[in-house]
Amino acid sequence: MLDHLNRIPTSPGRVVIIGAGGFVGSAIAKQLSSDGVPVHGLTRKELDLLADGAADKLKALLKPSDSVVMVSAVAPAKTVSMLIQNLRMAETVCNVLANIDIAHLVYISSDAVYADDANPVKEESDRAPSTLHGMMHAARELMLISSTKVPVALLRPTLIYGEADPHNGYGPNRFWRQAARGEAISIFGDGEERRDHILVDDVARLAALVLAHRSVGALNAVTGVSTSFHDIAQLIAKRFGVQVVSQPRPGPRPHLLHRFFDVTHRLKVFPTFHCTPLDQGLGLFRQEVA
Amino acid sequence: MSKPVVGFAGMTHLGINSAAAAAGKGFDTVCFDADPAVIAGLRTGSLPVMEGGLPELLAQNRQHIAYSAEVKELKQCGVVYIAADVPTDGRGRSDLSGIRALIDTVSAGLGRDAILVILCQVPPGFTRGLPWPKERLYYQVETLIYGRAVERAMHPERFIVGCAAPDRPLPQALHTFLSAFSCPILPMRYESAELAKISINCCLVASVTVTNTLAELSERIGADWAEIAPALRLDKRIGQYAYLSPGLGLAGGNLERDLETVLQLAQETGSEAGLVRSFLVNSRHRRDWVLRILHDEVLAASPKPVIGVLGLAYKENTHSTKNSASLDLIAELKPWRLQIHDPVVPASAAAHPDIKACAAPLEAAQGADALAIMTPWPVYCELRINELARAMAGRTVIDPYHVLDGAAAAAAGLDYFSLGASSVRGNGSRRTAHA
Repeated sequence: MLDHLNRIPTSPGRVVIIGAGGFVGSAIAKQLSSDGVPVHGLTRKELDLLADGAADKLKALLKPSDSVVMVSAVAPAKTVSMLIQNLRMAETVCNVLANIDIAHLVYISSDAVYADDANPVKEESDRAPSTLHGMMHAARELMLISSTKVPVALLRPTLIYGEADPHNGYGPNRFWRQAARGEAISIFGDGEERRDHILVDDVARLAALVLAHRSVGALNAVTGVSTSFHDIAQLIAKRFGVQVVSQPRPGPRPHLLHRFFDVTHRLKVFPTFHCTPLDQGLGLFRQEVA
Repeated sequence: MSKPVVGFAGMTHLGINSAAAAAGKGFDTVCFDADPAVIAGLRTGSLPVMEGGLPELLAQNRQHIAYSAEVKELKQCGVVYIAADVPTDGRGRSDLSGIRALIDTVSAGLGRDAILVILCQVPPGFTRGLPWPKERLYYQVETLIYGRAVERAMHPERFIVGCAAPDRPLPQALHTFLSAFSCPILPMRYESAELAKISINCCLVASVTVTNTLAELSERIGADWAEIAPALRLDKRIGQYAYLSPGLGLAGGNLERDLETVLQLAQETGSEAGLVRSFLVNSRHRRDWVLRILHDEVLAASPKPVIGVLGLAYKENTHSTKNSASLDLIAELKPWRLQIHDPVVPASAAAHPDIKACAAPLEAAQGADALAIMTPWPVYCELRINELARAMAGRTVIDPYHVLDGAAAAAAGLDYFSLGASSVRGNGSRRTAHA
């Protein structure tokens, strides 16, 4: 659950984004910049958290008035090796924050920290990850909270979509790209799995709100509306005039068939924030680029 | 044996109703409260609580009733009931300091043979721990229901009496008094009686939670809980009086208190109480049903909506706002302008920066983008749908307790939402709720 240290939103002094070159990090940087917030973005080129001297480098550039957004990750963490890499990256940040003061830390986590059967998922749902990726985020949350005395907010996005997504995971991005190439959209089986998909711009807006309120605690970055892959495919197919075709599943039916979120807590902590409906979010994609 | 004089200490909702019932059964009754202003009000017929039929019952039996702020007036009583309010904090935990202080005050002034009866909600173990001779100390379960308190006080289903020695006969004075109500008397050990009260409430909460869980499912799959509930009532294993009306979670404070007590006891004793935690989770979930609909239907789309709210009390026919779903809703609507009406509770009870207090229900609907009927006061049943539709600027009517006719509302062009059923749109369509 999220509490605000700033009842009245106040522009953060400077926001240092660790992982500013990624899909989510760059969206947060763009949002903050458009809000007039000074941003110091650190891509892997500027700061490789796995490199020697990374902690000293980070420590040297942080000021007590800074807010830090930690979004850097090797994701999705599918192997043990990737899990360990991600934990070592977090360890570097923890070592720095254990010894200096900053104003606020926001960690971009994931809804993968929750148990698969936690429907509908709320912020107070049990954290019992069933994947290495979920375990990685759950461990990083605890590492960061326990290593620093600064206020920490955990933002846990669900499946994120957006035009700039470099991944081609099963869902809106892949469907859009298939349709834009004039191909039929492929769904697995009947595509009946219902999931929540949030536009990356909305995640960025939420991060900006959390920073402005200097919030502490956890908040799910979700829309509260779960849509089947079949329906998403149809939405996109209609825009391009292509077919939706069913393909055999590559494996067994997913263990997590449907996932729903209860967004009541968000309605209370950010009452005037509302997510972009999926159809409207897809409308922000540029047809020719896709 | 002649009728004992019966005393009641603490002119609370429970105390006044119980005293009125005692007088109604022909017992001379002493009503004590340490606050002289409360006693002065009662003497002039000004009651600190609202309860249908109570003023009449007190007036009809005034020859049997003595009001006093002097504890010495209780000296004449053969039986004295402690009827203090036991306040709770935000988590439902009881503050027992007030009742302990009242017991100290009262017990010091009682006669040598007087029977002391604890009538308040106390945790198991409380009564046995009191420093008062156990042969004259009893605990009695109260089952007051706001709005039906007089009926239940005059015609109780049974008396559950906690005793130090349940195998021994009740003292004559207490037996004479309780027998006047012509219902079964069930003596049991203190702890059993104290837990019996909690058990009753847990069973009620179980029914409420089952109802709310299945009512939500009804909303999502196109079923109508109002069609299902009568079928359940005809099942003898469930019963016609079962709590099968969907609501906005638990309210009033007493049920929540008992759930918290069970959780505390379970923690102290290592009992498994996951079910009770689930009751609380479901209650919190259903509590925000109106807020979620308001966001989905109005707040996400309208930049400066006006919201009408009818009812502030936690239920109809009471002035109480303890754990009121309406006040909880209002607290989450701070960015928007509200127009509020309640027939009894003043608008000042609501913590909100932009409220217009309305003298009539229709005034609260005037120009509103959405209307939420948060307390099913009878007066709201009298709202005329067509007048409502003309008065409102928007189309959204949220009526959890089904005070209005949903079909008529939709026919008038309103989008109608009530617990346990799909919404009915002003364009005639039905829509199941989204997850």
